[in-house]
Amino acid sequence: MNSNAPSSSSGATGSADSSGPRRNSKRPKYSRFTQQELPACKPILTPRWVISAFMLVSIVFIPIGLASLFASRDVVEIIDRYETDCIPQALRNDKVKYIQGPEDKTCNRTLRVPKHMKQPIYVYYQLDNFYQNHRRYVKSRSDKQLKDPKSENDVSSCKPEDTTPGSNQIVPCGLIAWSMFNDTYSFSRNSEQLPLNKKGISWKSDRQHKFGKKVFPKNFQNGTLIGGAHLNSSIPLSEQEDLIVWMRTAALPTFRKLYGKIEVDLQANEIIQVQLKNYYNTYSFNGKKKLVLSTTSWLGGKNDFIGIAYLSVGGLCFVLAMAFTIIYLVKPRRLGDPSYLSWNRNP
Amino acid sequence: MSNTLFDLATSCRVVLCCRVAPLQKAGIVDLIKSRTDDMTLAIGDGANDVSMIQMADVGVGICGQEGRQAVMASDFAMGQFRFLKRLLLVHGHWNYQRVGYLVLYNFYRNAVFVLMLFWYILFTAFSTTSALTDWSIPTIVVGILDKDLSDKTLLKYSKLYGAGHRHESYNMYLFWIMMIDTLWQSLVLFYIPVFTYSESTMDIWSMGSLWTIAVVVLVNVHLAMDIQRWVSFTHIAIWGSIIITYACVVVLDSIPYFPNYGTIYHLAKFPTYWLSILLITVLALLPRFIFKVIRQTFWPSDIQIAREAEILRKRRSPTRSW
Repeated sequence: MNSNAPSSSSGATGSADSSGPRRNSKRPKYSRFTQQELPACKPILTPRWVISAFMLVSIVFIPIGLASLFASRDVVEIIDRYETDCIPQALRNDKVKYIQGPEDKTCNRTLRVPKHMKQPIYVYYQLDNFYQNHRRYVKSRSDKQLKDPKSENDVSSCKPEDTTPGSNQIVPCGLIAWSMFNDTYSFSRNSEQLPLNKKGISWKSDRQHKFGKKVFPKNFQNGTLIGGAHLNSSIPLSEQEDLIVWMRTAALPTFRKLYGKIEVDLQANEIIQVQLKNYYNTYSFNGKKKLVLSTTSWLGGKNDFIGIAYLSVGGLCFVLAMAFTIIYLVKPRRLGDPSYLSWNRNP
Repeated sequence: MSNTLFDLATSCRVVLCCRVAPLQKAGIVDLIKSRTDDMTLAIGDGANDVSMIQMADVGVGICGQEGRQAVMASDFAMGQFRFLKRLLLVHGHWNYQRVGYLVLYNFYRNAVFVLMLFWYILFTAFSTTSALTDWSIPTIVVGILDKDLSDKTLLKYSKLYGAGHRHESYNMYLFWIMMIDTLWQSLVLFYIPVFTYSESTMDIWSMGSLWTIAVVVLVNVHLAMDIQRWVSFTHIAIWGSIIITYACVVVLDSIPYFPNYGTIYHLAKFPTYWLSILLITVLALLPRFIFKVIRQTFWPSDIQIAREAEILRKRRSPTRSW
C-alpha cells in the first residue's frame, strides 16, 4: 500500500514539522492541488475522435466555402486601369515630365456595366506598388496635431513635412497628408450626371475622435514640391473625408480607398462616362492607378480566396476522414494493448 | 586499478561496496561520472555521505536519524529511503516530460510570432506595433499541472522511465520537426490575411490587430491540442487567455489616444474577419494534427500505450481502483 509521499523540494527539508497543532504523523496536510489529484479530463485520440474531428471540419467548412464563393460571384466589379491610357500617346515616353507639366489633365473614360448593379455602388481608387506601409511613411504624422488646434506645434515626427521654409507649422503635417491622392472622378450616364455621395466614406470613429472639429489646414502644400492634393483651409479636418480616408494607411502595397458611393442602380450593358482628372503622380515609381466600381456582399468585395480556401480545407478533411476510416478498418490497433510496448516487442 | 574496477562494475547489474570511507564513496561516483556521460545519482543520510552527494549529478539527502548534514548538501531531500522510487519514477518522469515539452513549445511560440513579422517585412519595411505583451500564463499552468501518466502507472511499470533515457521528450529530431511546423504556421498566419484582404481597403492597424489575435488564438489552440490532462485551471488559463486578449484589444481600441482606435469595432462587424481567424487556426494546425494521428496509430510510444491502457481501463470500470 503506497503511502503518500511529500512532494520533493530542492534544498528544503522533507519532513519539517508544519506549524500549528502537534500531529502524530509528519505527513503534510493533504490538498488535491498540492497532491496533483485535481479532477481531470484526459482525452485520447481514439479512431472515433480522429474521424469525427475531420468530418466536423469538413461539414463546417464546405458550406461556408460554398456560401463565400457564391457571395463573391454575386459581387459585380468594374476595374479600369487608366494611368497609361490617360496620357496622350505622344507624351508617353516621359510620363513624369507630363504629370508635372501644365497640360490639361482631363481624361474621358468609358465603362460598360457587365451585370445589373444594385445600389449602393462603391467607387474606389486602387493604387498598385504604393507602399503606404513603409515604416518611415507610417510614422510621418502627428495625431495630436490632427485632433487639437492647440497642439499645432507638435510636428517633430513629421519631418521633412513639418514646417515651411519660413518655420511656419504645417497643418496637417507629415508625408502621409502631403502625398494625398488628388485624382477626381465624375460620372455620367446618357449625358445625365450621376450623383456621387462623398459623405460618410471615412470611419465614424476617425471623424469624431481623431480629426478635430476645430482644426483647419494651414500652410498646406505651400512648398516647392507638391505631393498631392490641396486642402480647403476653411473646412475643418473632421469634414475633410478624403484626407481622413487617405490617412488610414493601407496594410499592403496594392490597396483601394473609398472615393464615394453611387446611390442609384446601374443596369446591365449601360455605358457610364467618367470624366477624370489625372493629377496624381504615380509615374515616378511605376505605380498603377485603377478606378473601381463595386457592389458588396456580406463578405465584402470580390474575393474568391476565402471561398476556395474553405472548400479546399473542407474537401481535404473529408478525404482524410475517409482515408483514416479505411486505415482503421484495415489495420486496427487495439488501444492500450500491452503487446505494443517496446519491451514486449523486442524482449 | 580503477580501469579494472570500472570495467568490472559496468559489466555487473548491481555492485555492492562495503567498509567504504567517505572520500572513496565520492571516488566511486566519480569513476562512473568521468568515464561515461551517464547521469549519476547519490543518496545518503549521514555526514559521511556528503562528499558522495556533492560529487554526483543529482544528490539526494535523507533527513532523519543521522542529522541534517546530508540534507544541507543535497539537491533533493526526503524523509525515507523508499521515497526514492517515487522521486525518480513519478516526479522525475513528470518533470522531464513537462520541461521537454515546454522548451519546444516556447521556441515555437516565440518563433511563430517573429517569423510572421519577418514575412511582413518582406512586403514593407514596417513592423507592427502591437501593444500586447505575450501571455505566458497558459504555459506556466500546463507546466505545473499537466501529467501524461498517473503515478500508479509509472510506479507499476518502471520500464516507462526509459523514455527519459531515450530522450523521447526533447531531442534534435523533435526540435527540427517543431521548427518546420513553426515555419508552416507562420506562413499560414501571415499569408491568409494577405490573400483575404489583397486589393481591399484594409488598413495597417486592422491588419496588425488581426494578426495579433490570430497568433494568440493559434498558439493557445496548439497548446490545447497537446494537453494531456484538462483540469479546471487549464481551461481557465487557455480560454481565459484568449478572452483576456480580446478584452485587452477592445479596451485599447476604445482609447482615442492610441493609433488602433476604433479598429476592433470596425473589424468585428465583418464576417470575413472571423472566417479568416478560423481558417488560420485550422489550416495551421492541420499538418501537426495529421502527423500526430499517424504517429500515434502506427508508431505509438510506450507512454502513449500506457496512457491509453490507463484511461480506457478507468473508463470501463471507474469504481475499480488499482
